[in-house]
Amino acid sequence: MILRSCPFEKEVAQLLAQGGWPAACAPELRAHVTSCRSCGDLVLVQQAFQRARAHSTAAVPLVSPGVLWWRAQLRRRQAAVERVGRPILGAQIFALAVNLLLVVTFLAYQVRHGLSWLSWIEQLPQSFTLHLEALWPSALADSGMSLLVLIPALATLALLSGVVVYLAADRQ
Amino acid sequence: MNWESILPNVFAGVAPHAAEAPMDPPMDNAVFAGFYQRSARPLWAYLARTSGDPALADDLMQESFVRFLCASHPVSLQAEGEVAGRRYLFRIATNLLRDHWRRPQSASIEEIPEEFLAATASSAQSDSQAVLGPALAQLRPRDRQLLWLAHAEGYSHREIAEITGLASASIRLLLFRARHKIAKLLREQSSLPGRQA
Repeated sequence: MILRSCPFEKEVAQLLAQGGWPAACAPELRAHVTSCRSCGDLVLVQQAFQRARAHSTAAVPLVSPGVLWWRAQLRRRQAAVERVGRPILGAQIFALAVNLLLVVTFLAYQVRHGLSWLSWIEQLPQSFTLHLEALWPSALADSGMSLLVLIPALATLALLSGVVVYLAADRQ
Repeated sequence: MNWESILPNVFAGVAPHAAEAPMDPPMDNAVFAGFYQRSARPLWAYLARTSGDPALADDLMQESFVRFLCASHPVSLQAEGEVAGRRYLFRIATNLLRDHWRRPQSASIEEIPEEFLAATASSAQSDSQAVLGPALAQLRPRDRQLLWLAHAEGYSHREIAEITGLASASIRLLLFRARHKIAKLLREQSSLPGRQA
């Protein structure tokens, strides 16, 4: 398609925009519009869109501006809270990562150098007047699961539960 | 030493720079209400006519105003004028429309059957609506936007480029093509046997 602009197009557009078409239009220009395809298109399209706009804007059910104002305030506040909370969340993640790293390092160290210092835990049940073995299910006792495994496992579980509960409460 | 000396206005809840720097007055509720009353209907018409979905137009119009108010660098209606504010609003709405069409899970304007737009238009009371609706439905969304902004809202090529994000130099050609196409469709619509009365 070749873009051929008519020299009268601007004048016609101006008349249409000011509402002067066709009443305030010179007869020569009107005659030109009937013969010029570009200007004819412009008049046809502009009038159709102006009528459509008038029709569409007449029957719009608008919500109260106060509702939108309130929604915007809420969103702004939420964004501000998120902005403030972002470094705190970062710090929490960093702290958790450091703790996990420490635990892993400690465990690795202990595995390498032996767990001899933990031997006193194995002596604990014998030192109690109450025999804790009596409380364990016989299946556990038979499988040979010692307190050496159970106590650190329970402690880790308690620690992780505490962290999870803290993070959940903090998020709420 | 107290907190007031370290952070001025901290107890009053005022941002430290607000008391010192002469900033533009923020838009208050009354100014916004006036702007909303004057801008909401044209914006709705733009969204409804280019999307062909009045319900979507409702949603996007409200979202546009909320984003307008939440903008990090808001247009000051007092300083820059309502025309600039409205142009910014149309830009937000255009971006929202584009995002809506890009979303894969939602129905795109291309997927909406032509009958939907035709039925909407034919139910309109105005005859021009019944002609323009089907003609618009046959155009690409971008062409619909360009035509509406130019011929219904009266924006210049530069303003349309600012709103749509297209290159200013290409607006003239795109608009010329779209206008030629819709004029042809409008002539065909009005020359249909049912229309000649």
